[in-house]
Amino acid sequence: MRDLVSILDGNTFLVSDRRGDIEPSYDFPTGLFSFDTRFLSTWVLTLDGERLHALSVDDSESYRTTFFLAPGEPTHYLDAKASVIRSRAIVGSFEEELTVLNHLGAEVECTLRIEVGADFADLFEIKNARQKRGRTTITVGENELRLAYRREEFHREMVLRTTAPARIDETGMTFRIRIARNGRWSTRLHVSSVVFGARSQDIRATLPYGGSRSADAIRAEQQELIDRAPKLGCDCEPLAGAYRRSLNDLAALRYESIALGVRLIAAGLPWFMTLFGRDSIITSLQVLPFLPELVPPTILMLAGLQGHRVDDFRDEEPGKILHELRYGETAGFEEQPHSPYYGSADSTPLFIILLDEYELWTGDSALVRKLESQVRAALKWIDTYGDLLGTGYLWYQTRNPETGLQNQCWKDSWDAISYADGQLPGFPRATCELQGYAYDAKIRAARLARKFWNDPEFADTLEREAADLKQRFDRDFWIPEREHYALALDADGRQVDALTSNIGHLLWSGIVDESRAGKVVEHLLGPRLFSGWGVRTLAADEGRYNPIGYHVGTVWPFDNSIIAWGLWRYGFRDEAGLICETMLAASRYFGGRLPEAFAGYARDLTNYPVEYPTACSPQAWSTGTPLLLLRVMLGLEPQGEHLIIDPAVPSGMGRVELLDIPGRWGTVDALGRSRDPEERPGGG
Amino acid sequence: MTEAAERFFEALPSRAPEILGGLADGTLQIDLGDNHRTEHWLVRMRPGSVRVSRERGPADAIWYSSAALFDRLISGEAQGIAAVLRNESTFSGNVVLFLAFRRFFPDPPGTRDPRETARRAAGRQR
Repeated sequence: MRDLVSILDGNTFLVSDRRGDIEPSYDFPTGLFSFDTRFLSTWVLTLDGERLHALSVDDSESYRTTFFLAPGEPTHYLDAKASVIRSRAIVGSFEEELTVLNHLGAEVECTLRIEVGADFADLFEIKNARQKRGRTTITVGENELRLAYRREEFHREMVLRTTAPARIDETGMTFRIRIARNGRWSTRLHVSSVVFGARSQDIRATLPYGGSRSADAIRAEQQELIDRAPKLGCDCEPLAGAYRRSLNDLAALRYESIALGVRLIAAGLPWFMTLFGRDSIITSLQVLPFLPELVPPTILMLAGLQGHRVDDFRDEEPGKILHELRYGETAGFEEQPHSPYYGSADSTPLFIILLDEYELWTGDSALVRKLESQVRAALKWIDTYGDLLGTGYLWYQTRNPETGLQNQCWKDSWDAISYADGQLPGFPRATCELQGYAYDAKIRAARLARKFWNDPEFADTLEREAADLKQRFDRDFWIPEREHYALALDADGRQVDALTSNIGHLLWSGIVDESRAGKVVEHLLGPRLFSGWGVRTLAADEGRYNPIGYHVGTVWPFDNSIIAWGLWRYGFRDEAGLICETMLAASRYFGGRLPEAFAGYARDLTNYPVEYPTACSPQAWSTGTPLLLLRVMLGLEPQGEHLIIDPAVPSGMGRVELLDIPGRWGTVDALGRSRDPEERPGGG
Repeated sequence: MTEAAERFFEALPSRAPEILGGLADGTLQIDLGDNHRTEHWLVRMRPGSVRVSRERGPADAIWYSSAALFDRLISGEAQGIAAVLRNESTFSGNVVLFLAFRRFFPDPPGTRDPRETARRAAGRQR
């Protein structure tokens, strides 16, 4: 990923190499993508038949990049007679301005060519290349090249237009140009990606925000969002940098759903530029204290798309909240189940948790009243379909073994849930954090029932059930000889005994018995789990541990932000502060942008956090991580109509000041300062 | 208009209290087409209730389906959102109304309760 350059606006994005070129790729999604379809799979620039190389790349903004290029191999460029500036932006569609500069004292003639191809691959076809079922037709017009893909009524088009005259053929455009001495030539290439919908119109033309915006409009809109967020003043540059970067990336990840017509936050570049239940809920929880207005569209869409029938292909059941919604061909023709897919056992309790947390911050009781039936249906799912074996726990087992997910918790890769000896349990499985979320969901729903639905009896019932769950959980999941909670129960009710970061989520949910909290914290910050940069997904001495295994040894920033929240909840402020500090220290190595995951190597082994090879970046819940860490350090907790501010800033971090925190109180300021006055010359 | 579709619309008011929650608030026009003509249904949804008539808008959203696809939706064989994604069916306007209406569509034929299957299998393992 490091050698690739990405730009994005919402869920339209382009990934190219350092020269700005795109060549067909079947392992990593390079190309121009919009709504899960690849609209450009080839985009290669040559000057007089020669490829170019990059002198420098300016990628300081999320939606535009400028490449400075010269012909030939790097050793030749000093006597280059010409150079090329390639300036591109995602502005709903994709625009690229090509400028050729003549460095000679004489007129030159040259041939510039852009090679163009569109394979219209669905994102799910990138990894498993296959023959397209539909047909592509190519039309060469005056100043335009049009590639259209049709399969039954499914219809996508890529239209490339040029402002300068060109010789156009089916695979590209050629410009024969003459440039005066020390002069320049340029053309503007415009690529529209058209998604056909009702009455054969581009579906985005009928959306409230429309498909295309100018670069200025994007900048203004992103700036407006950033301006609305609380202002951070602090002595700690990594914190300031990560906060700035997070706000920028959140602005960039917002997109307008073609199926839904509302603005949602995409989960992550490049694989996850769509709506996920779990990711969008966690991201919403992280950003709520800062940008609460980003949250209601997500809640509404998850509620609107709540499962209503038993559908094995989609792992859908009544009351269940979705896992993933996709917009592409494989979802439409039911070759993949994402229309939407419901294969997650945590999104349903997390949905209830988010709605309650949202009301606590904003006082938006109207939304809580409006969604009463959805929340009741979600609670019912927890006690019925969610409790697959009827043992009082949340279990999962896919009914779609071909294209469904085996693991339906946040660690959803196939090998993520294992015994300490590395063996994999059978199905169904009940992972521990699911039970924690269910506990918290019931406690929070009880508050909603009492306060907004006028149903104190239901509230009492929920609280009784939660208390009972907490007791049973401690009995069935605690492993006395290992002194931690089991990762899961297997189908026989046996404990899956690996030590994992999941126990940190238990602190966040409040299901941990107070007498056990100390041991849980010892494990989280002990050498088996804590790498020095953060808490590993799996302890370093477990059978399946691999420091670069996706869910079996890497460190996930979002995971750590939830763990820090949990440590704070149980009063372990110093330990929470340590995680905040090490995460922010890690973010410096990624330009303030925490990736999806980084390697679990011990900090003293590598001295810097090693990026996981195919980590997604930016990724929404990593982007939200610095925000949640700030909340944890400042101890921000709504209570009634007020915001409690109880800072515990890690030593050495100095002053942390957050101004204009929005909520039901209007806006308030929070000020924290680390307790050691000697940490900075002059008293900091 | 098939008989199955007519029966489906007739049954909506009695099913609405159980099916339509707080998000269902507005009018959806449903256009069902075949080779010869398009039939219009107007579905006025409120939380817990619905009124159905055979006429055109004004509506907050319009949803188009072929009569044949609609028959497959009301028997549970087809799924509404996938049909929209492959453009076999289209809508414009407030999507929440379409999402609320799709809740009237039944399970795919032959679906079994996943709990029975899982509990039987787990019982065998013990």
